[in-house]
Amino acid sequence: MTDTAIIDCNANLGNWPFRRTSYNTPDALLERLARVDIDRAWVTLLDAVMLKNVGAANPWLAEMVAGYEQLMPVGSVNPTWPAWERDLAECADLGFRGVRVNPNYHGWTLADPIFGELLAAAGEAGMFVEVALHMTDERHHHPLVMVPPVVVDGLLDACAAHPTVPIVLANVKNAPASQLARDADGELPGNLYFELSHFESVGGVQAMADALGVERILFGTHAPYYYPESSVLKVFEECDFSAADLAAITHQNAERLLGE
Amino acid sequence: MTIDCHVHLLGQAEGPLERGENLLRHADRVGIDIMCVSLGRFGGYHDASSLEKVAGNNAEVQSAVERWPDRFIGFCYLNPCYLPQSLAEIDRRIADGPFRGIKLLLDMFCDQPNLDPIAERAAELGAPIQQHTWIKQTGNYPLESEPRHLVTLARRHPDTTFLAAHTGGNWELGIREIIDTPNIIADICGGDPEMGYLEMALPLLGAERIAWGSDAPGRSFASQLAKVHGADVPDADKQQILSGTMRRVLDL
Repeated sequence: MTDTAIIDCNANLGNWPFRRTSYNTPDALLERLARVDIDRAWVTLLDAVMLKNVGAANPWLAEMVAGYEQLMPVGSVNPTWPAWERDLAECADLGFRGVRVNPNYHGWTLADPIFGELLAAAGEAGMFVEVALHMTDERHHHPLVMVPPVVVDGLLDACAAHPTVPIVLANVKNAPASQLARDADGELPGNLYFELSHFESVGGVQAMADALGVERILFGTHAPYYYPESSVLKVFEECDFSAADLAAITHQNAERLLGE
Repeated sequence: MTIDCHVHLLGQAEGPLERGENLLRHADRVGIDIMCVSLGRFGGYHDASSLEKVAGNNAEVQSAVERWPDRFIGFCYLNPCYLPQSLAEIDRRIADGPFRGIKLLLDMFCDQPNLDPIAERAAELGAPIQQHTWIKQTGNYPLESEPRHLVTLARRHPDTTFLAAHTGGNWELGIREIIDTPNIIADICGGDPEMGYLEMALPLLGAERIAWGSDAPGRSFASQLAKVHGADVPDADKQQILSGTMRRVLDL
């Protein structure tokens, strides 16, 4: 489908509790992504979102991806739990380059001081922080587990206070991304990145790249919850990016974020 | 061939033809040949529909259909609260051309008696009725129909073809609700490109009862095409869903 190297910055392993999940082992995921010419992915563990003891997911994920050089594990941290710093440190010890947080599932907001504490700790460990704004369509949640999306209020202040810590918004839709661009009034923080799997509307990825800056856009699929074809078709067929922009979106921005 | 059964003449541009051009430019890039289009930008999308709003939206759509008759197929928007005027609009836009189908949105639960004369007239004209349906755990709009409402209507009118737009959004529920009502076709447009949609729908409905749509321009053509291109289903079924079902429904 493409002749451009693609890094999927938003793929998942493991199980989501409300739907049988396919292609959720390392071999199966890599095979599924390879169908659309993706051969490298950052992966989180879906199970981590609903675990009470989120930190238990990290050695589990490390064990799953051991030996799979194409998969880069992203850990999970719930900073409202006691001794969360130990989980972050364990992620660093395991060689993880970043951690994901799910503030809505874990009962905190980006305006809470705990977010700043997490960013500071991640910065000291040389890790990026990924914020998943939601996981699935809120309109269709299990009736006993309804979780509103993460509100981005407070995010720009947090970015400014921790300018050396890369912050990735995963599963971010057009509206909160546009809100941040408006709130930033011209220049978004240099350490803020947007993963594109949830950008919608006809030509929407191109419009968001124009609004946010192509240098902040990371290719992601949200596979295997989403069909990975969605992001590939959006970027390579529906939009009309230059070769330079395609290279930035599909791998260069991710490599810069990692300092490679 | 790819037929998009669910497109709106929306977008940033002021004029309907400019919005049509934008749709066509992107449709061409992803290989969509024909788009069934309804609803322009006349009046707020979710506001109660006055007769002026109905006529204004249909006029916008008709301008695009007349400009690109090989690419757009018009679906006539109606507010069934205004029944005599709705029947007159059907005659004006469908019986006299160029529209081919009916679009119903949020103005009345679709199991109400006002829908009966509309469904009967649609059957006489061979015009499918596309009814918006959604099942929201977060709460529907006040008069927003669910697939179960459409099932009630469709069983009263077995000779009329209905498109359950979005298949209720919450597709695991919506697919099940329409299983036993053969004159309802699942319009799989809108919603996220979640893996498993067609893998569930196909064995329960059959490809002949599934039609691909996008809900563009609010949705990306690409994200919606992924539901078919990415599904683990036979290629013949994919082609049926991408075009065969609507070719049959519209006798193309």
